[in-house]
Amino acid sequence: MDLVRILVVDDEEDFLETLVNRLNRRGMSAQGALSGREALKMMEEKEFDVVVLDVRMPGMDGLEVLREVKNRWPFVEVILLTGHGSVESGIEGMRLGAFDYVMKPADLEVLIEKIQQARERKILRES
Amino acid sequence: MLKSTIELARYGIPWLGPAMAFLGGLALLAEGKGQWPAIAVIFGSVLSAGGIYSLLRSLRKGEKERALLDVRMLQSHKLASLGELTAGIAHEINNPLAIIGREAEWLEHLLSTMPPAEGVPRKELLESVREVGVQVNRCREITQNLLSFARKMEPIFQKVDVNRLVEDMVKLVETETQGKGIEIVRDYQQPMEPIMTDPPGLRQVMLNLLNNARQAIEGRGQITIRTRALEDGRVQIAVEDTGCGIPREHLPRIFDPFFTTKAHGKGTGLGLSICHGIVDRLGGRIWVRSEPGLGSTFVVELPAKPKRAS
Repeated sequence: MDLVRILVVDDEEDFLETLVNRLNRRGMSAQGALSGREALKMMEEKEFDVVVLDVRMPGMDGLEVLREVKNRWPFVEVILLTGHGSVESGIEGMRLGAFDYVMKPADLEVLIEKIQQARERKILRES
Repeated sequence: MLKSTIELARYGIPWLGPAMAFLGGLALLAEGKGQWPAIAVIFGSVLSAGGIYSLLRSLRKGEKERALLDVRMLQSHKLASLGELTAGIAHEINNPLAIIGREAEWLEHLLSTMPPAEGVPRKELLESVREVGVQVNRCREITQNLLSFARKMEPIFQKVDVNRLVEDMVKLVETETQGKGIEIVRDYQQPMEPIMTDPPGLRQVMLNLLNNARQAIEGRGQITIRTRALEDGRVQIAVEDTGCGIPREHLPRIFDPFFTTKAHGKGTGLGLSICHGIVDRLGGRIWVRSEPGLGSTFVVELPAKPKRAS
């Protein structure tokens, strides 16, 4: 099976770098983007399977990015990450087609499992 | 369909005028012709936003009446046809709505950078143009709800540990109930065999039910979440609250789209109908028991795997 192609989007540089490194060390192909716009640009150039997306970012926030991603790449699965869990934004996120809504700090094992489920979903949908 | 076209025209035409005033005023404003065009722009945009809002309201009212006439025919059929109708209209309305929103933002920018001039009530103009933005957002929320309600995303069945999925959503809701006198009681059957269902769909249902339970409780109360596996592999998830309960006369309609008793602007009345639609697509059932003043229990029952071959 090909490597899972993951795009992590978070404006906190340290967090982003750590998570991308960890995912790569665990045999996945992860890249990072520091903003929604950067993420969308990267998605135009390269195909990803799963996007791990911070909800609260300056500029384009996570829900806006999610909407754009689901409009343009409906098969790409999005996992929302949130520092301050909010039920309203959770409902909104799920309604917009997110695969999951995960509260920070997310356990790496849990996150990896969710990424794999999201990837499996994409494969099932495409088949 | 014809009826809805007439309806669309009837409620659509009145806001074409204001929209033209808005655009005309904007053109004059761009040429720097003073305060009157600015006022025309604001009036135009307020009225056209109002027009769109009333169009949505009237559609909503129309649907409500239709839903009443329907003697509880197969709910899923009703939801499907309603879905097609609403999706079409919501799509059409989204574009002008986006333009009005953008122009209002631009106007706000122009006004806030304009040098103060005699006789121009800038503060009021700014307030009014901001209100346009607020109302446009409100309309946008409605159309987006309509669209998602109509979106026919086929479920994807994956192996799901029900207790874990439920617990994830409970934890999220708990972050908001903590310290507010709402106690969350977990009663999960352990161990429980995984089932084949659509994970994000079930998450959406759980979040909506938990959120409703939370909102039903005023002051102190308790939300109990139960999971049970039946002998044949079916799974039941119950969300029980000690909230205000549902009046008997509302019970037959609570899964109808647009039916809401929440304060104006607080709920679109689509939450439970979306839940119903999702559970239906997952091959399950959802029902409610409620005692006014004592609370409500929503039960979602899901098959161990979808009936259709997959």
